[in-house]
Amino acid sequence: MAAEMGAPRFSRWQGALGFMLTELRVQGHETLALATSMIVQTVFIVFVWVLNRGLLPYALLGAVVFSVFQIGERVTNESAYIRIDHRLTDLYLASPLTPEAYFLGMATGVMTAFLPPVFVLVALIEVLHPLTWFAALVFAAVLVALWLFASAMGYIFSTLFLDSRAIWPYSSLFYNAFGVLPPVFYPYAYWKAIIPHSLEPLALLLPPSASAALVTWAEGLPLANLSGGEVAMASVAIVVESLGLFLFAVYWARRASRER
Amino acid sequence: MVEDAISARDVRKVYRTRGQPPVEALSGVSIRVPKGSRISLLGRNGAGKTTFLRIASTLLLPTSGEVRVFGRDVVEDPEGVRPLIAVVPQEGKPFFHLTPREQVYTYLRSRGFVRETAKSRTEEALSLMSLGEVADRLNVTLSGGQRQRAMVATVISTQAPLLFLDEPTIGLDPFARRGVWETLRLLTRRGSTILLTTHYLDEADVLSDRLYIVDRGRVVGEGSSEELKRTSGGTLRVTFQAPFSDGSGLEGTLSTFGPVLKEDAGGSLTLFTGPERIQELMAIAMARKVPATVGPVTLEEAFLRLVGRSIDEEDSGGR
Ligand SMILES: Nc1ncnc2c1ncn2[C@@H]1O[C@H](COP(=O)(O)OP(=O)(O)OP(=O)(O)O)[C@@H](O)[C@H]1O
Ligand SMILES: [Mg+2]
Repeated sequence: MAAEMGAPRFSRWQGALGFMLTELRVQGHETLALATSMIVQTVFIVFVWVLNRGLLPYALLGAVVFSVFQIGERVTNESAYIRIDHRLTDLYLASPLTPEAYFLGMATGVMTAFLPPVFVLVALIEVLHPLTWFAALVFAAVLVALWLFASAMGYIFSTLFLDSRAIWPYSSLFYNAFGVLPPVFYPYAYWKAIIPHSLEPLALLLPPSASAALVTWAEGLPLANLSGGEVAMASVAIVVESLGLFLFAVYWARRASRER
Repeated sequence: MVEDAISARDVRKVYRTRGQPPVEALSGVSIRVPKGSRISLLGRNGAGKTTFLRIASTLLLPTSGEVRVFGRDVVEDPEGVRPLIAVVPQEGKPFFHLTPREQVYTYLRSRGFVRETAKSRTEEALSLMSLGEVADRLNVTLSGGQRQRAMVATVISTQAPLLFLDEPTIGLDPFARRGVWETLRLLTRRGSTILLTTHYLDEADVLSDRLYIVDRGRVVGEGSSEELKRTSGGTLRVTFQAPFSDGSGLEGTLSTFGPVLKEDAGGSLTLFTGPERIQELMAIAMARKVPATVGPVTLEEAFLRLVGRSIDEEDSGGR
């Protein structure tokens, strides 16, 4: 029969690339959104530049960390918008594209679309405060982990709502609270100065601030002088949390692909 | 053994939303869609059509019952079913920031088609849906009907073995609707199977091999269009142009043939019947010198009668 049974044989992750290209095209039309995504970072960088230029490396590295963390918010909004406002999720899930490939395609598409402004920041860092090889390596590793964490969080979050407008306030609150309050844009040493001793490790357990602490430590910045135990704690936390949440998101994507 | 494209047995669905009373959307629906056929689900708003389509297309879990798609259980083996199907969701909208050409092409790519196949299928689908002129404009700039056609084009381009189309022709002009009908016929000729819902009964009539009428989560009628018309009371409608309260007793005479409808604010009497009783009725009209016309019953009339009957039964059923 002409309508070939099974169509092309498909592996679990295969369609992710195709869906990523879809997302990339969609996001590519939203140039203003790319600029908007840099508002918070720009504000902090300008403040630090004006108030205390010595803290600029922390703010710049933090800005990159925040940008990657914020991809999660974009994934939340995009995923909810496609599912609720366009009802396109039915189109994509009732197909050989697996739910996990759909999720991963969306996460990589959104990430790729939002990379150009991040490259601008990285270029700025290279000019103002070039990273050591070690720091660059640590930076790359934590950013990948953070991206996994943030997109997984974003995707799971998006499935919990019936109305996309109900999501915006929560997602914006969540990503700003966890991306701005802990020491992401400012040094870990300052956090220690303002927080009760017993709560200090919190910053090392939350992926955005753990990423910032690790990369500023790897670069040898004076106010990011972590102990061996702190480095270990932050590293383990970010690896376990990102991998754990990513695997859970894969499970969740499959589960949520069938409404109850 | 030739298995069916869909065989659904006793499907029930109760929606449970927190803080809301549960809604029983399907109460034991059994439907059979033979391979290569075009089947329509008809029913009032809220009858359960979309619920059934979403269950059969693996997107919604049934509360109980069994649905098999090409022999595969939709609950146990969704991953086996999904590559074989494609769905036009009710009220689905294409990505606003893609053009129809990009929409169809990227969809095919994400379903795993290689570039060349995706390209040629895209062009074919766009031309079948007469989207040529707007194929390179962003969907956001298209009219409602053009967007809907972009959705249909996306789905038919897959030539999937089983297509679910939930109100595919909503908002389409009469030319575009006929374009969709032609395309669906072409797809079944090529071997696909189609399950669709529509509120346009003329469309269901010309398009479907078989129809299921669903009401309040139950199948209240099934068969070919002719069969449904017959079970609804007859395939012919006879209208007598006579005021029903003229004291001539015409209404009484006619009511021995079946229920009589008073239409045109009492200016005419209509009844439904089969060809075998036409002569008798015409004799009555001639004897009384009352103008009478005979015409075919439309599917819409049959639908109204069948569903109306189900409403009456339900109401008198002491619920
Ligand atoms: N997510 C949901 N939660 C609760 N109830 C629902 C949900 N979706 C549908 N229903 C209810 O289930 C019943 C069947 O709905 P369904 O969407 O299947 O109807 P339909 O036949 O497709 O109607 P229409 O012609 O209006 O599209 C309705 O009473 C509807 O209110
Ligand atoms: Mg519906």
